[in-house]
Amino acid sequence: MSSERLAIDVRGVTKAYRIGVGRARVREALPPPIDRAVARAFPRWWRRDTFNALDGVSIEAPPGSSVAIVGHNGAGKTTILKVIAGVTAPTTGSVSVSGRIAALIDVLVGFHPDLTGRENIYLLGAIQGYGRKEMAPRLERIMDFAEVHDLADTPLKRYSAGMVTRIAFATIAALDVDVLLVDEVLAVGDAAFQRKCVRWLEGYRAQGGTLLFVSHNLGLVRSMTDQAIWIDHGKVMEKGPTGDVLASYGQSMERRDAESRTFGKGQLRRAFASRGLHRWGAGGARLLGVKVGEPSLDGAALNITVSFEAPDLDEAIICLGFVDESGHEVAATESPTLALAEGNGSADCQVAPLPLRAGLYFPTVGILSTDGIVRDRWQLDRPIAIDGTGEPAFSAAFGVVALASEWRRAPKSGPSE
Amino acid sequence: MLHRLWTYRDLVVSLIRRQFQLRYRQSLVGISWAIFPPLASLLVATVVFHEVIGVQSPKAGVSYPLFTLAALTPWTFFANSLTSGVPSIVGSMQMVTRLPFPRAVIPLSMIGTSLLDLGIASVGFVVFAIVTGSGIPLTALWFPALLALEVILVIGVVLLGSAINVFARDVRLAIPLLTQLWLFLTPVMYSLESVPDSLRPLYLINPMTGLVELFRQVLAYGQAPSLDLVVPALAGAVALLLVGFWYFTAIEDRFADVI
Repeated sequence: MSSERLAIDVRGVTKAYRIGVGRARVREALPPPIDRAVARAFPRWWRRDTFNALDGVSIEAPPGSSVAIVGHNGAGKTTILKVIAGVTAPTTGSVSVSGRIAALIDVLVGFHPDLTGRENIYLLGAIQGYGRKEMAPRLERIMDFAEVHDLADTPLKRYSAGMVTRIAFATIAALDVDVLLVDEVLAVGDAAFQRKCVRWLEGYRAQGGTLLFVSHNLGLVRSMTDQAIWIDHGKVMEKGPTGDVLASYGQSMERRDAESRTFGKGQLRRAFASRGLHRWGAGGARLLGVKVGEPSLDGAALNITVSFEAPDLDEAIICLGFVDESGHEVAATESPTLALAEGNGSADCQVAPLPLRAGLYFPTVGILSTDGIVRDRWQLDRPIAIDGTGEPAFSAAFGVVALASEWRRAPKSGPSE
Repeated sequence: MLHRLWTYRDLVVSLIRRQFQLRYRQSLVGISWAIFPPLASLLVATVVFHEVIGVQSPKAGVSYPLFTLAALTPWTFFANSLTSGVPSIVGSMQMVTRLPFPRAVIPLSMIGTSLLDLGIASVGFVVFAIVTGSGIPLTALWFPALLALEVILVIGVVLLGSAINVFARDVRLAIPLLTQLWLFLTPVMYSLESVPDSLRPLYLINPMTGLVELFRQVLAYGQAPSLDLVVPALAGAVALLLVGFWYFTAIEDRFADVI
């Protein structure tokens, strides 16, 4: 037991979900004492199949800390947040939170489209346990923060999704919270509001607030948190400083994706259908396939082959770039003008060692006509991972491009600009 | 648990406000909808039970319509609460699976909304009593006390029903049928006196029997509530509240997983 009381103390939490129907369903409906009694009397008959969404998860977050939870989809990230928030009870293990807690798990829930922005803020406050009287003095601040001042009396259904997210975040930001759980929320807002939220979260942390942060945006995770927990299949794989954990996580992601590194037409179409905007362009030329060669983990030379058809063009340019997890295009290169003979072809590109920090990067490829118009562009949703082994983690929060630099001890002198 | 519920009282109010605002939005006659259903039932009961079958009010000087409306008004509150309250947890699935708040808030807000409807319907009752010349007896001052008794009963039944409904949606499907049968098996459109003695014990198991009789006593007959009806009604209501509350709190943790 540490002398300091933890802000979030999760001990050996297991969360089992029932599989199947029938008796198991009846069991769920019985209050625990009755359930236990029947289980003692008829242990075999009463058995049920379960699967563990969480399996012995422990999280210790001291006050003022900022902890990220990373993992694949379905790893149990949201479940652990729900258990900590009290949405659902752990099957075994214990959860204790000291101080007022607020959870931003799904921003759109709790809102009602027919109520006005103002009414929805009151409703959201009430859901978090804040009465109308407590919310009234915060209303102005929330409207300001969310930048929806003129819309206070407009029904929410006239708002854009971004505005709703802003209201949700702004409302939580206006409460007196000691422990904040944030799940994948910042992904919805625009970049400017995202920066605003990040600034707010930094201020919140500076005042001693504790943050538990779930995001697929590893760039944000890297800048927002100092500790991270990597969960896979409900088990904690690794916990420690964010940089270290992300490095291991990235490696595993890399291994997992290694088999499916070639993107044919069908696959991409699936990605297109399931993930939304991954292909765009003015038309007149089409990318047919992008094959990303096996990169070495340290980011050494990478081979990318692009095949395309462009019957209407005599010349074309292929551009290749990398997008980081925050959606920023961080590195790019372009081919010289390619003369097209038969209307289709392919181009090979060997990229020199990528000067990128450890993390995941999504290749993006485009075919352009010589007037600079993007005819077809793909952004692959499978990233390449660049491993950070051997690199110190200290500068992880400082940037994404690994600068070549040389350091020397300076001769002793006073501080200067 | 009760303390936690108390800190969320504003959520109950917010939800009631929301339901009330939304229900009558874009409707032509608005809150009159709280008055029409009992009046329509009254009309049917008067035609079918009174005119056709010949059911009479057992009290001289109390017309059959008044006799029935005095019971039908509190009955409508009971039926409305059940119809909206029992499916309410499942209906708020999104909130339940994502937000931590005491689950009882949802059914309680449904009961609150029905209570507002009852308020409007009561005005309708008063107007009806005055217009038909019967007037409101002084014993109507007992109304709030009897209403409190009914609210206790309703909370118990709705907590129980809404919790079971999470695990077996059959409950929600059975509710319209159940309330209809329950209405006929409760002396609302006829008097308890007309029930044969052999069936009386069966009637007195039904906690609504005593309640509607009590409402009738104070609203139509001008009598004080009789103790032999109050005691079983109170005992039944409190017992149901305890059972409902116990069951609800014992398993509300699981709602988010099962729903």
